[in-house]
Amino acid sequence: MSRFSLKGWSGKLLRVDLTAGTCTDEVLNEQWAKEYLGGRGLGTKYFTEEVAADVDPFSAENKLILAAGPLTGTYGAANGRYMVITKSPLTGTIASSNSGGYFPCELRYAGYDMVIFEGKAEYPSYLQIHNDKAQLVGAVHLWGKSTKETEDQILAEFHGDAKIACIGQAGENLVSFAAIINDKHRAAGRTGIGAVMGSKNLKAIAVRGTGGVKIADPVAYREAALDSYALLKANPVSGEGLPALGTPVLVNVINQMGALPTNNFQKDTFDGAEAISGEALASTYLKRNKGCMGCVIGCGRVTGLAGSRFDGDGEGPEYETLFSLGSACGVDDLAAITKANYICNEYGMDTITIGTTIACAMELAEKGLVTEEEIGMPLSFGDADAMVKLVEMAGKREGFGEKLAMGSYRMAESFGAPELSMSVKKLEFPAYDGRGIQGIGLNYATSNRGACHVRGYMISPEVLGLPEKLDPQATEDKAVWTKIFQDFTATVDSSGVCLFTTFAIGAPQFANFLTAATGAEFTEATIMEIGERIYNMERVFNLKAGVDPSQDTLPKRLLEEPISDGPLKGEVAKLGEMLPEYYQERGWSTEGIPTDERLQTLGLV
Amino acid sequence: MIKVQFYSLIRILLKQEKLELSACENENVGQLLQRLQRQIATPFLHKLLDKKGEPILGTIIMVNRRNIHHLEKLETPVADSDVVALFPPGAGG
Repeated sequence: MSRFSLKGWSGKLLRVDLTAGTCTDEVLNEQWAKEYLGGRGLGTKYFTEEVAADVDPFSAENKLILAAGPLTGTYGAANGRYMVITKSPLTGTIASSNSGGYFPCELRYAGYDMVIFEGKAEYPSYLQIHNDKAQLVGAVHLWGKSTKETEDQILAEFHGDAKIACIGQAGENLVSFAAIINDKHRAAGRTGIGAVMGSKNLKAIAVRGTGGVKIADPVAYREAALDSYALLKANPVSGEGLPALGTPVLVNVINQMGALPTNNFQKDTFDGAEAISGEALASTYLKRNKGCMGCVIGCGRVTGLAGSRFDGDGEGPEYETLFSLGSACGVDDLAAITKANYICNEYGMDTITIGTTIACAMELAEKGLVTEEEIGMPLSFGDADAMVKLVEMAGKREGFGEKLAMGSYRMAESFGAPELSMSVKKLEFPAYDGRGIQGIGLNYATSNRGACHVRGYMISPEVLGLPEKLDPQATEDKAVWTKIFQDFTATVDSSGVCLFTTFAIGAPQFANFLTAATGAEFTEATIMEIGERIYNMERVFNLKAGVDPSQDTLPKRLLEEPISDGPLKGEVAKLGEMLPEYYQERGWSTEGIPTDERLQTLGLV
Repeated sequence: MIKVQFYSLIRILLKQEKLELSACENENVGQLLQRLQRQIATPFLHKLLDKKGEPILGTIIMVNRRNIHHLEKLETPVADSDVVALFPPGAGG
């Protein structure tokens, strides 16, 4: 094997051939590491080099890549993140899904930056990694178990200090939005990566690592870390707001401004918002906050349902879940939402897609396009008990759960009403209406994995006023801002650092961290260039996969049906005013195709 | 009356969700906030405003569900029956 000379990265990946049952170490490609960092960028580079864009997501030819970043597992800021990359069964686009916790760091401590799964195991299996020893073992006894049960069993039989990522029954059942759950409660949630894992008969990855991460310049790294700690603690969002109330604090904010999607985007204010708000959660089921490894923010919500009509404990709900299983379904029962969140974690499902798919089913029922007999129960907006029941049925693919497991687009299409799916590229919207917040609408339309808020979180400038306040209804300059947010996010997702740090730290801090950790030189300019390179690489893959620019759009409801209520009543998404400028900013053709010139500049051809 | 709604850390700090005050003639948001602080024993304005009295980056103040940043900022007029919502900096995902 050739040598990997840089620090920061472990310099090693594990290739697991599930068909052959072999595990092989490889040296990480050093040039690619410098150009794509790790996580989302480097994982996608390997994926696009090794997998044809037209691959069937559930075929043995599709690969599944778990990728940490060069900063994952260091004490920098909030550095417990990793990404999972594959081709999505839900969207047909590149899939890359982020999660944090302790598992990503343990992978680094075992000496690996990345694990590439290829082929398909003959029978249910899981991967054990104990430092430099890796092996596939049988998982027949784990198949059918929840993520919690799976983790407990592996801890008992493999190593009590192991960190685990696994799928639940939803992944086994190829639910198109199945997630991979790590550390019991953390989800690499979106785009159905858990179903790809299930299609490979891979139940879990268990890692025990006792090494560390080598840093090129420990003194400079310490300075960078102390600088970031100070900024994160002094910032009112990362230092106080997120630890105290977590992401659910946004329920009241977004409802007040009139952009909280309600009843499948038929309304944008929710009468029950206060009952499902972060403030309500803090005064009822919240036990404490929790962070990923080394995190100074601690946005996680540790909750328990004692005293409610449900039982159980776990983590969540986050803001997105309070929207998807709450306002989107017209449900104002916080205990029911929390219970449904637990079920999602145990079955391994994306809370956003299942919630919005149930909301879509509720509208189908409201319009008489699906019958009570077909659903197996009466269904209407606001029915909390039905919502909880349907979440479980989706995980099991039982009864109407078979339809829900398709995701909202295919489900609505099967009832002759695809326009009732609130999605882009078949990925359902998160919790902000793009009619009232124009930049987030542009980001949804152009995101490389469909309607995703964390591909370019325009909510930050348009609603929260960070780093400066933009008018959410204006379209001017939104193309420029969206591109900057998308590119910078791609770099952050590739570093191993949490996106939430970016409320307090920016490209200069990331450049300092990466330079000190790796020994390679990074500047503010290279940070943004790496992000742009990654974004274009993903775009090129999607084009080859047949996801053409005509899909850079929004549902008819957002483009043509004005918001029906609240302070933003009358607004529609003005995508046509922003998209041409966006293509121009990206250096793409007027049809939305990356030009050879731009790809050459970015080193992509 | 003017209804003031408290959210997030301010609600936790003050242990109350809202307060109603009588309207004053020609009053703006900045003046209302100062009057509010004089009326409430627990200091809370530092969660919203910096030492210069300007909104901290990320603070959201709404009058009748519209962000004052896009109105007349702290000089936005408030009158009888207005609803003022106070959100200290927060974020989600």
